[in-house]
Amino acid sequence: MKLYEYEGKQLFSSFGIPVPHGKLATEPIKWDGKAVVKAQLLEGGRGKRGLVRITDDVYGTIVEMKRQGIGKFLVEEFVPHDREVYLSVMIDRDQRDPIVVASPEGGIDVESAKDVKVFKIPLERGVRPYDVVKIEKYLNVKGLGDVIKGLYRILVEAEAELVEINPLAITDKGPMALDSKVILEDNALFRHEDLLKSFNREYKQEPYVELEGDVGIIGNGAGLTMATMDMVKLLGGNPADFLDVGGGANREAVKGALLAIGKNPKVKKVVINIYGGITRCDEVALGIVEAMKEVRKPIFVRLVGTNEEEGRKILRDNGVKVYDQALQAIGDAIRL
Amino acid sequence: MNRNTKVIVQGITGREGSFHAKRMLSYGTKVVGGVTPGKGGTEVEGIPVYDTVEEAVKETGAEASVVFVPARFAVDAIYEAVDAGLKLVVVITEHIPVMDTLRAVKYANAKGTRIIGPNCPGVIVPGETLLGILPPRAFNRGNVGIVSRSGTLTYEVGEMLKDLGNSTVVGVGGDPVIGTDPTEVVKMFEADPETEQIVVIGEIGGTSEERIAEMVKKGEIRKRIVAYIAGMTAPREKRMGHAGAVVYMGKGSYESKIRAFKDAGIRVASTPYEIKDLLK
Repeated sequence: MKLYEYEGKQLFSSFGIPVPHGKLATEPIKWDGKAVVKAQLLEGGRGKRGLVRITDDVYGTIVEMKRQGIGKFLVEEFVPHDREVYLSVMIDRDQRDPIVVASPEGGIDVESAKDVKVFKIPLERGVRPYDVVKIEKYLNVKGLGDVIKGLYRILVEAEAELVEINPLAITDKGPMALDSKVILEDNALFRHEDLLKSFNREYKQEPYVELEGDVGIIGNGAGLTMATMDMVKLLGGNPADFLDVGGGANREAVKGALLAIGKNPKVKKVVINIYGGITRCDEVALGIVEAMKEVRKPIFVRLVGTNEEEGRKILRDNGVKVYDQALQAIGDAIRL
Repeated sequence: MNRNTKVIVQGITGREGSFHAKRMLSYGTKVVGGVTPGKGGTEVEGIPVYDTVEEAVKETGAEASVVFVPARFAVDAIYEAVDAGLKLVVVITEHIPVMDTLRAVKYANAKGTRIIGPNCPGVIVPGETLLGILPPRAFNRGNVGIVSRSGTLTYEVGEMLKDLGNSTVVGVGGDPVIGTDPTEVVKMFEADPETEQIVVIGEIGGTSEERIAEMVKKGEIRKRIVAYIAGMTAPREKRMGHAGAVVYMGKGSYESKIRAFKDAGIRVASTPYEIKDLLK
């Protein structure tokens, strides 16, 4: 679960990472002096959209941003500083340990940054003084101990996937996190209900990702569903979503998935690619037929595996074309 | 792992556990016992149930286990299996918190227990034994080893390769931290006389595919590898179903994996249905 910037900064504060003095607003507010007004959105690229502004007119800036449909703002004191650096922590899945990622250039796209270094800090021992010294030397900054320990503790104690400060300002009074990006681990949220409560957030895991295209996609199993998206693209179409109904999907799950996709106005047609291992094809077929009462879009079903004869018969009896080759189903979906 | 490996099922009295225990048994797997705390002394499908793994091991001589225990308790089941001295633990359970898995995998490694998974379909040696939930109908005995980060996609590929057949099929699991990495399985296939060629089914996220390419470049793997990667059209920083199928900081992107494979001269299938044509 991705946190808003202001939620991340609350977390930073409670773990000893300094952040600018600020205030969350939903309406225009008065503010003395220079400030930074930042739209609170979960998607990135705010800077490019002009949704992070340094201003002397906080009130007017909020009025203006509200016209662009923004509802939540973080207003912060302007923090003068000479330098910015980059710091983040995450679990390195291949080394199977937490890592600190550092760069002497802050506010950059770390993917394309040239100067980036990774410091492995094993879970068994946690952050030690010599880790801090190494990172400080690399960044040529002093006084990062609390920030590094705070980041590491958020990773381990709040169970995050990624905790990022980009940029970390180096001021006369020490380091200060000007931005926050925190992604909490979905599977561990049940242990952090107090945290969710303090943010007034609820979270439901959804095996659904919306994309740009017009071909709705349902598959069972993450790999097969991704492969189906990719094949749509390879054959000249554009996938509208990723929706995995799971390895052992039943009638209700399939019905719910098709209804969800059918509601998306961008979707012009739907490809369903099912391999029934544990999943039973007749269950899948019944789910599709039930959903079709409400979804009036062309549906192309590829269905093989356990009970495939029964499943196909159900679909054919209800006028749905069934394929045994995924590429054929996708090809027809794109052509027709 | 072969037809003589004695296996217990942890979480055998649950819906999934009992269903798959029966399926494994009918496939020929030596399922000698099950474990569910508080249900010791009962039976599931004629399989004796024990309260602890230690008891089950003492009574049956089991060497391996398959874990179906729900996510919140699964990590306890892993520690218990490790402490009882099992050599192989296959964890089917999905949604175990990464921090739990990380600690448990480190513990298991130190004690010499191999973990496969979590969030995996398991392992099948066609015609011999099945530890997990792979559908038997998809796999024939043969000479192609498959290592995969996906479930259903593996069944698809197995089905397509039925003429060639499979030596061993390993689903390593879709979580970010897993006990056995695809690189380790590829090394085992290289050493396995029954395996003549290897299929690698990968997906976005992590760098195990890149490291397989590196091993091929160094000449550590000489058998033919055919690879497929799912996730060409997946946007970054979005989780594609599997907890592990996510690209942070450009690490483990589709492009990076394909480039690494091509650099190493590994044949890459652009759809799963092309894999067969690229094998010998």
